Amino acid sequence: MNETSFIFVPIAGLLALFFAFAFFKSMMRASEGSERMQIIAGHVRSGAMAYLRQQYRVVGVFFAVILVLFCILSYGFGLQNPWVPFAFISAGFGSALAGYFGMKTATYASARVAQAASESLDLGLRLAFRSGAVMGLVVVGLAMLDISFWFFVLNRFVDSAVPGQKLMIITTTLLTFGMGASLQALFARVGGGIFTKAADVGADLVGKVESGIPEDDPRNPATIADNVGDNVGDIAGMGADLYESYYGSILATAALGAAAFMTFGESVQYMAVIAPMLIAALGIVLSILGIFTVRTHSGASQRELMAALNRAVYLSSGMIVLGSGILLWGMGLPNWGGVWVAIVTGLAVGLVIGRSTEIYTSAEYRPTRAISAAGQTGPATVIIAGMGVGFTSTVVPVLAVALGVLVAYAAAAGGMQFNSASLSMGLYGIGIAAVGMLSTLGLTLATDAYGPIADNAGGNAEMSGLGPEVRRRTDALDALGNTTAATGKGFAIGSAALTALALLASYVETLKIRLIDWVERGHAFVFPDGSAVESVEAVGELDLLLLMERFQVSLMNPKLLAGLFIGSMMAFLFCGLTMNAVGRAAQSMVEEVRRQFREISGILTGEAEPDYARCVEISTKGAQKEMVLPASIAVIVPIAVGLIIGVPGVFGLMAGALSTGFVLAVFMANSGGAWDNAKKHVEEGHFGGKGSQAHNATVIGDTVGDPFKDTSGPSLNILIKLMSMVSIVTAGLNIAFTAF
Amino acid sequence: MGVNPMKLYYYFSLIPESLIVSMLDPESFGNYFAIGSQKRSRGQAIFFEVDPDKLPDSRWLHEAARKCVPHEDGAPRKSTYLRIYRVLESLPLSALKRLYLATSDGRVLGLDSAEHAVEANRPVHLYQELCPVSPRVVSTLNPVAFGRQITDPTESVWVPKIVFAELKLEELALNPETAKADNLPYPNIEHLRDCIKELKNRYSKPNKMVIRQVREEVLYRTIRSGFFVAEPNGMLYYPFPDKSDLETIHYTWWHSALSSLGA
Repeated sequence: MNETSFIFVPIAGLLALFFAFAFFKSMMRASEGSERMQIIAGHVRSGAMAYLRQQYRVVGVFFAVILVLFCILSYGFGLQNPWVPFAFISAGFGSALAGYFGMKTATYASARVAQAASESLDLGLRLAFRSGAVMGLVVVGLAMLDISFWFFVLNRFVDSAVPGQKLMIITTTLLTFGMGASLQALFARVGGGIFTKAADVGADLVGKVESGIPEDDPRNPATIADNVGDNVGDIAGMGADLYESYYGSILATAALGAAAFMTFGESVQYMAVIAPMLIAALGIVLSILGIFTVRTHSGASQRELMAALNRAVYLSSGMIVLGSGILLWGMGLPNWGGVWVAIVTGLAVGLVIGRSTEIYTSAEYRPTRAISAAGQTGPATVIIAGMGVGFTSTVVPVLAVALGVLVAYAAAAGGMQFNSASLSMGLYGIGIAAVGMLSTLGLTLATDAYGPIADNAGGNAEMSGLGPEVRRRTDALDALGNTTAATGKGFAIGSAALTALALLASYVETLKIRLIDWVERGHAFVFPDGSAVESVEAVGELDLLLLMERFQVSLMNPKLLAGLFIGSMMAFLFCGLTMNAVGRAAQSMVEEVRRQFREISGILTGEAEPDYARCVEISTKGAQKEMVLPASIAVIVPIAVGLIIGVPGVFGLMAGALSTGFVLAVFMANSGGAWDNAKKHVEEGHFGGKGSQAHNATVIGDTVGDPFKDTSGPSLNILIKLMSMVSIVTAGLNIAFTAF
Repeated sequence: MGVNPMKLYYYFSLIPESLIVSMLDPESFGNYFAIGSQKRSRGQAIFFEVDPDKLPDSRWLHEAARKCVPHEDGAPRKSTYLRIYRVLESLPLSALKRLYLATSDGRVLGLDSAEHAVEANRPVHLYQELCPVSPRVVSTLNPVAFGRQITDPTESVWVPKIVFAELKLEELALNPETAKADNLPYPNIEHLRDCIKELKNRYSKPNKMVIRQVREEVLYRTIRSGFFVAEPNGMLYYPFPDKSDLETIHYTWWHSALSSLGA
């Protein structure tokens, strides 16, 4: 293989978009069912689009402010790469566009899936899954095209006299573009999470608990907002989250590759840089193949439905193991075998986290059943048991990531030694492990996006009064979606952790490039230890270890310790803010639903239609208002820490947020998922079944767990990546200004 | 809303025990009775439609005609209480027409009376008495015998008439010692087991009270054979629809009933 093999990267991106378009057209050709089904789907669609419009308006303002700041930093002070302001916009735009297409497809698909399920379970499954695949393929397609475009542009315009430095400049510049995707993801995840749970909790509290109205009953004014929320949170939010992980992991690994292979010659270095992109391109092709294998038979059991999805995931994963080995060997990387082991490690970590999530959140296993059993002694024991399960569920994912990091490092570096020669290579291994985990994202995101589509199809079937056989099929598809949603969350958290680790390592590389900029402009730079550099050559001689030593990045440095504590605290602060936001927004929803019951006579007799749009508007406004503070804090704190206590503080901040945020995210997602399924387990006829004391207690557990698993937990993924990304983008500021 | 200003409907409500006259048809009355006119109240309702021609006292009809008139704005009169307290004992069984079960969010299911075939070889039954008293009782008597015994004036404990429902016991009826009771939502299931075991081992006593007074609503999903109205010389039986009918013909009501929380 030679340098022209890069062409496969944009081709894979285009291929992903082509199949996404084909699946979309195929879905649109399917019947949308009866007039009633179309009306209900129309309400959800218009609500979802109204939310997106409002969100993009707020995000647009935020982006405009940051664009101005970046322009000042880049062109005013020269502290940032001049490409950043524009490329930052393009990455954000790509993420937003993927969210838009995903939501559009999902909201068009729900009624069609319900209608397809009336013909057969297989048709329903295939239509729902391929509609979910549109989101998966649009995310990977747009990300690959964006990366390809900017890599091509920078390759033409960036030059450097120092051998090997050109690719380092290109990759670290590319990496900073990821902040656009990070920022967009933050709004999508936090805003989407607040929207969906405000609607869900509001609909449940007034509808189910207060008025005794069943779920998905069209008489509940918040029902449509609840259905919109499924799309907003689990499609747009999850898509933007994984778009950021995908984008960030590829670019961080490229940057680490440029540094690690700098001394191997420009050709090998180039191959190391494009390796993560080519692996992702291969993953796209294999994801598409996997999507075509998903099918089932009529009357399939839940286990068989799960097997249909698992078959596709395992097939693609198996093929990526084989394909990436051949690819790396063909690329001629000196330690291709070690890098390949790192990729396989990443894939394995993803599968282990997914499986562990399933064991801790599925009612098929003991932990969740124990929560159901605790319901017999009341809600307090349900809460205690759920938290206990959540805490213990962190063990396997954390050990998997820890072991994965060690194995990936050792495999790529050729051992566990920690010296200048092996460090860069080891970090490249960690980065490429994240790429391996995300390589089949087109497929794994399809299984995630499938969940809300099936859920909405079930809601549509219920509200449209479709027959019992259809409802049984949509219920089966929905139950499968609940499992994939839980494992998808585990996957998203795991990939965020590995991506953030790669970003942490890339931060040092970025510091080096910013130092080169600094001295190129004729300034000398004095490190905290008193030593100074005055020339590009002197900076070039600083390897990662030396650079960290000069910046006094040491666990014993109080600045780093302070950053560490602040980073840990940030994870909790972020959770607190988002939980309170859900509480307030849900309260507004409760009051609105009560008002409608009071003022619109005939809602409960079915003679008058509730004002669905008003509930969507309340959730939208609540989400937009409430997401500004957490978003602002996530952007401001890394900059402030950098300006006040400098590089060691930023390192501490990133490490603290990553370690605490990762564990906390696993805890919140798993305890929330376990509470949800514990309630479902009781409803299936255990510990007294519906209406029993255990049911009442587990309903409370489920309501508490809603913001855990769908708002605060997933938002932490973004926090840990965004803070790293902000630190990378503003690394120039850390060079120029530090108070202490 | 099903309003016929020319017609007055008479309802015998079990909760609270009362005779009500209304200008609403049974569906609309059930909806109104469960959720109120502005959704400020919520509660399950169980009531019979009453044949006015079979009422024991014709003065009740005159009183109804005088009191149950449209509101000044022309809106129908939704409920006028004619009698409360000891209403059931004053109504002949022939006056009771269909039985209506309203869920707490106002969905209404109408049940017709039918002949009851006594089930042989069932050792234990669980009965929820609904009116005029409301304890929950396990009994070795079948519904006909139970109704006869509880309305027998020669017994020391009796009522002139009674409305009760038979509740599910599933495998517990046959094997209270070890059978699983996973899908039975009754509180303190171990106490229920003890009651059945005691009943099985002491044949001189056919009935045993499980709960003195059930304070929550009746959970419709626990209804086994149906509802009974018994007096010393007669009985009405209102069979509860089977699962397949509930999931198809009566799905909307059933879905709502399953969402209710109760005991």
